[in-house]
Amino acid sequence: MGGLQETWAGRAGVSAPVRLPTWLLIAPTLVLLAVFFFVPYLNVLRMSFLVKPPVGPYLPEFTLTNYARALLDPFHWRVMYRTFWLAGLTTALTLVIAYPLAYHLSCAPPRRRRWLLMLLLSPLLVSVVVRGFAWMILLGRVGLVNLAVQRLAGHELVLIGTPTAIVIGLVHVYVPFMALAIAGALQNIHPDLVQAARSLGATPWVAFWRVVWPLSLPGVQAGTLLVFVLAVSSYVIPILLGASNVLVMPMLIVQTLLDAFNWPLGSALSMVFFGLTAAVIALYLRLLARAMRWTRA
Amino acid sequence: MTRPGLWLALLVAAAYVFLVAPIVIVVLAALNAGDYLAFPPQGLSLRWFVRAAQTEPFLRSFVFSLKLAAWVTLASTVLGTAAALYVVRHSRRFRDMLRLAILAPLQLPAILTGIALLIFFLSTGMGTRGMRALFIGHTLVSLPYVFLTVSAVLAGFDRSLEEAARSLGAGPFTTFRRVTLPLIKGAVIAGALFAFITSFDQFPISLLLVSVGNTPLPIQLFDYLRFSFDPAAAAVSTVSVLMSVAIVLVVDRLVGLQAVSWGPR
Amino acid sequence: MSSITLRGLTKRFGSVAAVSSLDLEIREGELVTLLGPSGCGKTTTLRLIAGLELPDAGEVLFGDRPVTRLPPERRNVGIVFQSYALFPHMTVWQNVAFGLEMRRESPRVIRERVGAILERVQLRGLEQRYPHQLSGGQQQRVALARALVMNPAVLLLDEPLANLDAKLREDMRFYIRQLQRDVGITAVYVTHDQAEAMVLADRIALMRDGCLQQIGSPEEIYRQPRNVWVAEFIGLSNFIPGTVAGSRDGQLVVRTAAGTFTCTGRVEVGREVLICVRPEALHFGESHPNRLRGTVRERVFLGNLFDYRVEGPGGLHLRVQADPSQALPPGGNVTVSFDPSAAWAVDAGEV
Repeated sequence: MGGLQETWAGRAGVSAPVRLPTWLLIAPTLVLLAVFFFVPYLNVLRMSFLVKPPVGPYLPEFTLTNYARALLDPFHWRVMYRTFWLAGLTTALTLVIAYPLAYHLSCAPPRRRRWLLMLLLSPLLVSVVVRGFAWMILLGRVGLVNLAVQRLAGHELVLIGTPTAIVIGLVHVYVPFMALAIAGALQNIHPDLVQAARSLGATPWVAFWRVVWPLSLPGVQAGTLLVFVLAVSSYVIPILLGASNVLVMPMLIVQTLLDAFNWPLGSALSMVFFGLTAAVIALYLRLLARAMRWTRA
Repeated sequence: MTRPGLWLALLVAAAYVFLVAPIVIVVLAALNAGDYLAFPPQGLSLRWFVRAAQTEPFLRSFVFSLKLAAWVTLASTVLGTAAALYVVRHSRRFRDMLRLAILAPLQLPAILTGIALLIFFLSTGMGTRGMRALFIGHTLVSLPYVFLTVSAVLAGFDRSLEEAARSLGAGPFTTFRRVTLPLIKGAVIAGALFAFITSFDQFPISLLLVSVGNTPLPIQLFDYLRFSFDPAAAAVSTVSVLMSVAIVLVVDRLVGLQAVSWGPR
Repeated sequence: MSSITLRGLTKRFGSVAAVSSLDLEIREGELVTLLGPSGCGKTTTLRLIAGLELPDAGEVLFGDRPVTRLPPERRNVGIVFQSYALFPHMTVWQNVAFGLEMRRESPRVIRERVGAILERVQLRGLEQRYPHQLSGGQQQRVALARALVMNPAVLLLDEPLANLDAKLREDMRFYIRQLQRDVGITAVYVTHDQAEAMVLADRIALMRDGCLQQIGSPEEIYRQPRNVWVAEFIGLSNFIPGTVAGSRDGQLVVRTAAGTFTCTGRVEVGREVLICVRPEALHFGESHPNRLRGTVRERVFLGNLFDYRVEGPGGLHLRVQADPSQALPPGGNVTVSFDPSAAWAVDAGEV
């Protein structure tokens, strides 16, 4: 656009209107990101090395005690392990439920796909608090699930306050994300490929395993990564559905920051926890890379 | 793709029920005429909606969320559209980096962003009073949605339309106003609506940046739910759901939901 | 290797009949092209033979084996798709070996046969490449190898050259023809490109709106079109309307507004006909028995020949193609003549 401007303004002999440099378009956004995103994150890193005084949130003195406490306290490790375990389970279950949804979506004719997409995305437009609340109703002692179980089995299940409820709630929240990621990859698979496999002797099931599944892996990878990160950092669902019985890292970190008013330790815990998450993800990506060799050849 | 079989259809139907049922349950609970959250509902009534509307904290936080979301949407739309214009059309060397930077708030856990912002605001003395901190936090995570929808539309935009306008004598601003903007309007509005919902329903960032008297609705609801468990909460939730549904229908009518991409490309 | 028989094959999509009561016999070892405009049903027919679609009525037989209701993996067909459909996540070797794996052949057999076919299509050395690392022509050959390594009963090709540029297309045409002859496999080839059909086919099956119009060798179809549509579809043609007045010595005598002519054909006396004469069969001068007078209206130089528009008696418009040595000026009066053996009468009622 710039080049054209120069030519036409020149040729027409018309004085060009005030020509603003194009980088002004991106400047406000960059400033916003730099000052209120990147700097705060760097600040957290800095905070993790500072001292926590008896009164007040922090002192500008360097120390490594925060990391010592974060890394050496077995309590922290238990909480982190529990968080990863719940997130991993959530991710696996989400994959199992979301994949058929994605497959069905990608096979649907355009008109029906529109409606299915709306249905799939509808839970996303409801606040996570509302969704947590919905599951509280369903899984509570007098909830729908228990009504059915009582009628069938005669006793009631305690679900709220258990990891099970948390996993159910999280899976419910994240299925749409996973389904969309996988559907995106599935739609890139040329329909001829399955037919070619069939013509070469593959039954529909074998054609799926040998052709569709491998080619959908990029979507599966994106989806599982997204859901794992979201699950690991979830706060509302564990609190509402765990009812203070189940402690996960985000809860611990917020408690440390707000209740104990210990910013340095909270920052250190954040760094350690999300650093570990990044490491787990890196490992996962390396493992998957072998199966997706063909994308980089 | 070959057509999937009956088993798949059943599985998928069950999955959709799983996805949608809880919301339906909340709405039904809100319409319950009885005193408790019980099933099946004992008659239908709007009394809990009335009750919720009369509960001061709910009312106040509802209005606050609306105002906040309105400001956030305005900022996100302007900044996000401008950023999309720049990244799609004018950046070359730094395009990928810029995209990464703008989408970063979506990639990193919101709770971590909230933590970082809280510490930042408090340690720089800016504080979290008033709407300012929430506004900034929400804009960070809402702007990317506008950016995504608008840049998707711009990527497929036919530049020759603008060139034709210029050859007919329209200056750059006029061309933008009369040619470009009307054509990307749908994507801008879609992004704006998603930004609105993101702000209105935002939780983790709000959780950390709330201050006395400035409580967004989700936080208010959350606090309420820690201690009470009655249909008034369901009524508030239902209003929130209805708003979101209305927004989705509007977006679909304008641009079709396929236009929204949910991740980095 | 088998022959293919289609009997009364019908396939509907909604209210439209893509294929209508089709009867077709393809002999063993023959290459038949299905030729026609888009929407004529040629691709649907191919897919019915492949088992990728199931017919609403009719039968498909390979030899005497009915395969009508069998799924593709049980028909032993080799298919080459327009998009090649090479598995992007598998190497050339893995692609070609896939079908043999499905058959649970032993690794030794697989190694031998894949090696042999890759040798044959001259792709040795590229086994470990992925499809996106190959050129269009190479991908084409992988697709062929993958289909042929299975020793299928039948080879089906769906416009396989459509995505190649013109020069490569020509080269690949000959290549495919040669390969098919060497292997001796029965093949059905779908195309909308006339020239391609003429080069490749033992016989051409012309289709229109789901129905077979004519099946015959390229020469038969060109020289003896069964109806006006076929005559118009294949190559260029002039049509002289007239009535069959009688027959003499195995030839027809036709009375037209431009004169009385003799030509070949199989039409009864008294019927209205159109005499089809190809532009290259019309000559200037009086060298042939059928003569008429006309005026040259336009002349275009095409390099290897001149293309003339000549107006004859009764408003007849003729197109004549002659070699550049005879340059006749526009506006001049000429005599155009043609030989009875180069003129074919088609019943005007046959559409």
